[in-house]
Amino acid sequence: MDLDAVIRECLEGSPSAWETLVNTFAKRIFNMAYQFSGSRQEAEDKTQEVFLKLYGALPRYDSGKNFTAWLLTLTKNHLIDEYRRTKWEKTQRDDFDERVLAQTAHDGPEQSLVEKETKALVWEGLNRLSADMRMVIILRDLQGKSYEEVAEILDLPLGTVKSRVNRARIQLAQVLKEYRGGTS
Amino acid sequence: MTCERIEELLSAYLEGELADAEKAEVAAHLAACPECAGLVELMKETSGAMAGFPEAEPSPELMAGLYAIPAARRERRRWFQPVFDYLTRPALQPVYAAFTVLFIALSFVLFHPEGRGIRKQIDVRLHRGIGTVEKLYAGAGTLKGEIGSLTTTVVKSFNNLDLLKSGEGKQ
Repeated sequence: MDLDAVIRECLEGSPSAWETLVNTFAKRIFNMAYQFSGSRQEAEDKTQEVFLKLYGALPRYDSGKNFTAWLLTLTKNHLIDEYRRTKWEKTQRDDFDERVLAQTAHDGPEQSLVEKETKALVWEGLNRLSADMRMVIILRDLQGKSYEEVAEILDLPLGTVKSRVNRARIQLAQVLKEYRGGTS
Repeated sequence: MTCERIEELLSAYLEGELADAEKAEVAAHLAACPECAGLVELMKETSGAMAGFPEAEPSPELMAGLYAIPAARRERRRWFQPVFDYLTRPALQPVYAAFTVLFIALSFVLFHPEGRGIRKQIDVRLHRGIGTVEKLYAGAGTLKGEIGSLTTTVVKSFNNLDLLKSGEGKQ
């Protein structure tokens, strides 16, 4: 798919081009918002807001740039700004079990109880990280971006990103240890 | 190497990005330090857990809402465009300029650090102005009276003159 052509058609007002853009990026943006906020409802609202922003900002997109990185930067900025404005950390994250149950098609039944428990604790532990730490670990470990891509999205030097990812992983490991009562 | 230095290298160690010498140093430290070794195990566990996080599917309602964004924007523009066009027509520019100047002047009075003094001065000047107008008005009243009496005198004089003329005729 030629993304530049799709964007050009979007700017010309083609509904099918906009649908293509939504189909290509909606799941990624929704998951990023879900992993960041921990709430499906919040993630749906934020995804809608991000796409509204995207529609308004599309005429300003420089076609020479990496569109995916540009869109993820827009998403990151919106999520962090909204987080700072409304302080989501006061709200509970959705129960991880519900989330797993909703995704049985992807997870095999052989998944052990310990693994499930670890996943639930890590999911819960993401709320204990600061917005910046959470975002960096979501991009690197959950969205699977390379360090270079994360640096481009966050507009940070590569060294800073590597160091921040390392610190975020250590913090998350310590949260896991704390949840387990320091038994590990 | 200290534990702090080792912590800084753990992600690179787990991702196999360290040079051989550094890698050997970290491995030797981990073999001797149960605290750091425990941390590495926990990091491996968290990374493994995150790698197994399933991707959630956006709901059909959300997708429908996203598809509808251009139409919703166009509809909104259809309602707001005439109002926007009316408010931004060139004929209103002098009005906006006048209001801007007025607001700037007003802000000087309202938000100036010595605003209270300025407002007091304006008040005093205004009262003085009113006093002056009142004095002028009173003066004008007196003048009107004087002109009135003068007119009466002049009229009387003319009347007397007529009487004299008629007396001369009789004789």
